[in-house]
Amino acid sequence: MTDSLILSILADGAFAAVAATGFAVISNPPKKAILIAAGLAAVGHALRFYLLHNTVLDITTASLAAAFAIGLISMLAAKLIHCPAEVFSFPSLLPMVPGMYAYKTVLATIRFMSSHGTGDPQELIVQICQNGLTTIFVMFALVIGVSLPMFIFHKQSFMMTRLLNNKRPA
Amino acid sequence: MKEQVPIRELSNFLLDFSTTLMSAGVHTSRVVRNVHRIAGSFGYSVEMTIFQKHITMSILHAEDDSIRRTSVRAIPAGTFNFNTISQLSSLSWAANDEHLPLEELRRRYEAIVAEPRISRWWVLLLVSCANASFCRLFGGDPAAMGLVFVATLVGFFVRQEMMRFHVNHMAVFVVASFVASMIASVGVWHHWGETPQVALGTSVLFLIPGVPLINSIIDTLEGHVLVGFSRAVNACILIICIALGLSATLLILGLDLL
Repeated sequence: MTDSLILSILADGAFAAVAATGFAVISNPPKKAILIAAGLAAVGHALRFYLLHNTVLDITTASLAAAFAIGLISMLAAKLIHCPAEVFSFPSLLPMVPGMYAYKTVLATIRFMSSHGTGDPQELIVQICQNGLTTIFVMFALVIGVSLPMFIFHKQSFMMTRLLNNKRPA
Repeated sequence: MKEQVPIRELSNFLLDFSTTLMSAGVHTSRVVRNVHRIAGSFGYSVEMTIFQKHITMSILHAEDDSIRRTSVRAIPAGTFNFNTISQLSSLSWAANDEHLPLEELRRRYEAIVAEPRISRWWVLLLVSCANASFCRLFGGDPAAMGLVFVATLVGFFVRQEMMRFHVNHMAVFVVASFVASMIASVGVWHHWGETPQVALGTSVLFLIPGVPLINSIIDTLEGHVLVGFSRAVNACILIICIALGLSATLLILGLDLL
């Protein structure tokens, strides 16, 4: 790996961390969860960036791998701070949610419907399908990736918040 | 077994508990698990049906099924609150492990629900920073990042104010997306930096309903298909609203970039 590649991966992770923090605070997470969400988002997004730019993987598979990594680390983190894992694994997925593909699908549909439409209708149909399918598949990849570790460690994932109470003096 | 809790009070508490969790943005199976846990600690069993706007819950005594109560409660429209989810979830384990009395559960529940949210000004600032760095992730240059920061600052403020006055949430999304994209389009107009079209494209992304989208897929995969699809439909409506606001900007300015 060249230095510039490492640098751009690190920058990608750092900006993803800021993005995750901002999108997380909208849903008022516990304060200790915000930092972990930022860290997880950095790892996940940087991993996806690396896979997208340096391997043959497409955005769906890369998202699946990134979400799986987030899911694994969030299980460990949940054990450490005794919070349900989704409290920080969901916010860390938010920068990877395919929002732009989603609204581009709608924009292409609007343009296809308008009679004085600019652009070739066949090209627009391709855009609608491409953006729409990417949205759906990436969303499924994110959710399946992040919940695979929870299926693997099924029992532990229920117990995360219980440990909180075992620590409390009786 | 402990002495019997009045079924009416337990039923009211569990309905409060589960409707609060649902409006705080949790996936359905966690609500079901938590409610079973609490009811179990009082020696009752629970069957529940959850829809997008209502919860139906039947509570019956584990040993004497003539003691039963069924009620329906509407789920209030609320804002997402992960702190509530985390704390109520551990409250359900406390009920299970320590067999807390119902009054104690009720007291802790009220305390958790009353906890203040993060200040709205902090949220405004952090969301603006977040969207600006999101713009960078899509390849925007510093000029585009600055533009997106301002656009999000104004757009999110408009959203907060309209939410405060309980304007219809679809109208909120159309207007907020229109305002944010209108501000970002200034860069396209004046050719600021190398990537003004990235600024225009990412300026509305702070509105994307990410948590409902994730929850809808989890619910669908876990078998709560109706709730999952209701959530997905709601999220799609909001995405269409975002695209409408954005396309209004594109139409007014005669742009054909995205």
